[in-house]
Amino acid sequence: MDKLFTTLENLLRPKGKKGLAGIWEDDHKMVEAARKTREMGVKKFDAISPFPLHGIDEAMGIPRSWIPWVTFIFGLTGCAFGTWFTWWTSAVDWPLIIAGKPFWSLPAFVPIIFECTILFAALSSVGVMIGLCRMPTIDPHTIDPDLTCHKFAIFVPEDEPGFDQAKLESLFKENGATDVRQTEF
Amino acid sequence: MAETPLQNPGTLNLTAKAKTIYAVLMFVGVITFLILLMNNPERAWHAYLTSFFYFVTLAVGGLFFTAIHHMTSAGWSVNIRRFSEAMTSFLPVAFVGAIALLLAGDYLYSWLNPEVVANDPLLQHKTPYLNRGFFWIRTIGFFGIWLYFAKILVGRSLEVDKTGDDKTTLSLLKPSVIFVLLFALSYSLFSVDTLMALEPHWFSTIFGVYCFGGMFQSTMAFMILTILYFMKNGQLKGYVDENHLHDLGKYMFAFTVFWAYIAFSQYMLIWYANLPEETIFFMPRSHGSWMWVSIGLLVGKFVIPFFALLPQWAKRTPVHLAAVSVWILIMQYVDMYWLVYPNLNHDEVVFNFSEVLIFAGFWGAFLFTTTRFLSKNSIVPTKDGRIHESMHHHVVY
Repeated sequence: MDKLFTTLENLLRPKGKKGLAGIWEDDHKMVEAARKTREMGVKKFDAISPFPLHGIDEAMGIPRSWIPWVTFIFGLTGCAFGTWFTWWTSAVDWPLIIAGKPFWSLPAFVPIIFECTILFAALSSVGVMIGLCRMPTIDPHTIDPDLTCHKFAIFVPEDEPGFDQAKLESLFKENGATDVRQTEF
Repeated sequence: MAETPLQNPGTLNLTAKAKTIYAVLMFVGVITFLILLMNNPERAWHAYLTSFFYFVTLAVGGLFFTAIHHMTSAGWSVNIRRFSEAMTSFLPVAFVGAIALLLAGDYLYSWLNPEVVANDPLLQHKTPYLNRGFFWIRTIGFFGIWLYFAKILVGRSLEVDKTGDDKTTLSLLKPSVIFVLLFALSYSLFSVDTLMALEPHWFSTIFGVYCFGGMFQSTMAFMILTILYFMKNGQLKGYVDENHLHDLGKYMFAFTVFWAYIAFSQYMLIWYANLPEETIFFMPRSHGSWMWVSIGLLVGKFVIPFFALLPQWAKRTPVHLAAVSVWILIMQYVDMYWLVYPNLNHDEVVFNFSEVLIFAGFWGAFLFTTTRFLSKNSIVPTKDGRIHESMHHHVVY
């Protein structure tokens, strides 16, 4: 039993990366700094904010998410499944005469097919999103507890191509970072 | 970021050519209508009702969009509000059209004929509502409500163009709330009186909502096309961009789904219960050539726009959005036609150029009033207090 918990814990405990973090108290300055970090040549880095920021995707150069495709394909799958399932249950496996309608009465099954579409699309999207965000995790690394309240941060991992400690430090400070620190995230 | 000073968007330059086109459209429409009226008055009035309801819907839809804008104190839609306000300028013309419809009611509504009612216990039962006097009062009352609130909502908005007084804008909140409540009642009953009453035995409590779904969908389509015109000639540069289009596109997509949802809800309940009083509506529409129109409506008004508007790029690409909008405006006509024409001929689809030309005539009148409004007033309410919200409108998803 203990072994199981250790394995689970190792699985769920995120392996942090060492890197440099800048901390801001003004979100506009942080978005501007993110833009400049990208322009400096750093491709993959993180921005941490207590609330969604307008324009951060564009500033960091994040491409459009592919999750909508998951939603779409699973929606179609759900639709197909609902159609097949209502047909199989009502017309093949256990045919019942209801209100004198044909066994295979599409209008009666459209709500079920519709719900299956929504269910498949929604659950798959949420599932894929949770996976992509590597949730759930135990004891994740935090740069600063205030980042869940009123501060904003940019984190650049050390092993990222284009990482330059001195240059990044001065870039963060020039763009209004209140604090720059070596950390793990 | 440095902001470049914006040029004044100005007004629409209504060219003599455009005026001529509208005049020709109206002329052709009137002539076709008169010829048809002499040969087949029943058909003429059915064609008239189809187009009339279509454009009343657009005009009231513009007013409704304006009202929800004020009701929610929306900021993002300030720069596009003038286009929905412009659509309401058709209302006075529609009122004249409504009087014509009332006078010609005998060609359309069997319950106006005392002999028919005398032999029909069901209709006798409905006479407290379905009678000539009350029909006149209701119709005039509905137009009274719409015209009154259009005068308040649009009139005060134009006042702000001159004064720039935020108090005037804020004062629109209250009438908007009252209007939206009255709108739900008046537009539902208007659709019941003019369309549902074509088959007086039939009733469907969701019918008003069904018409409302198509209203919002087609109102968005027309607004998008107007905006795209002004974006193309550069007058909206700096005021409206693809972010506004994206939101209008989302509205259009949402109400495409909404319309289908309501249409199916209406159909399924009637199909399930299988009561003669209710199935009387779907019987002619699911047989013979009408069945094809019904299927065409399902595919054309829901399936095609649904997939065409689903991706994000679809709502941000002007050419694509314009094509879908035109398509939806056509399908809205098919919908109105599908509601009205089986009453004229249960067995077969009746359609030729005369329906098209009468529809074109109405387009002439509608475009004439809308463009005249836009040529007299600034196409963007530049002095609105919330305009900065619309300037920096940014849609992420």
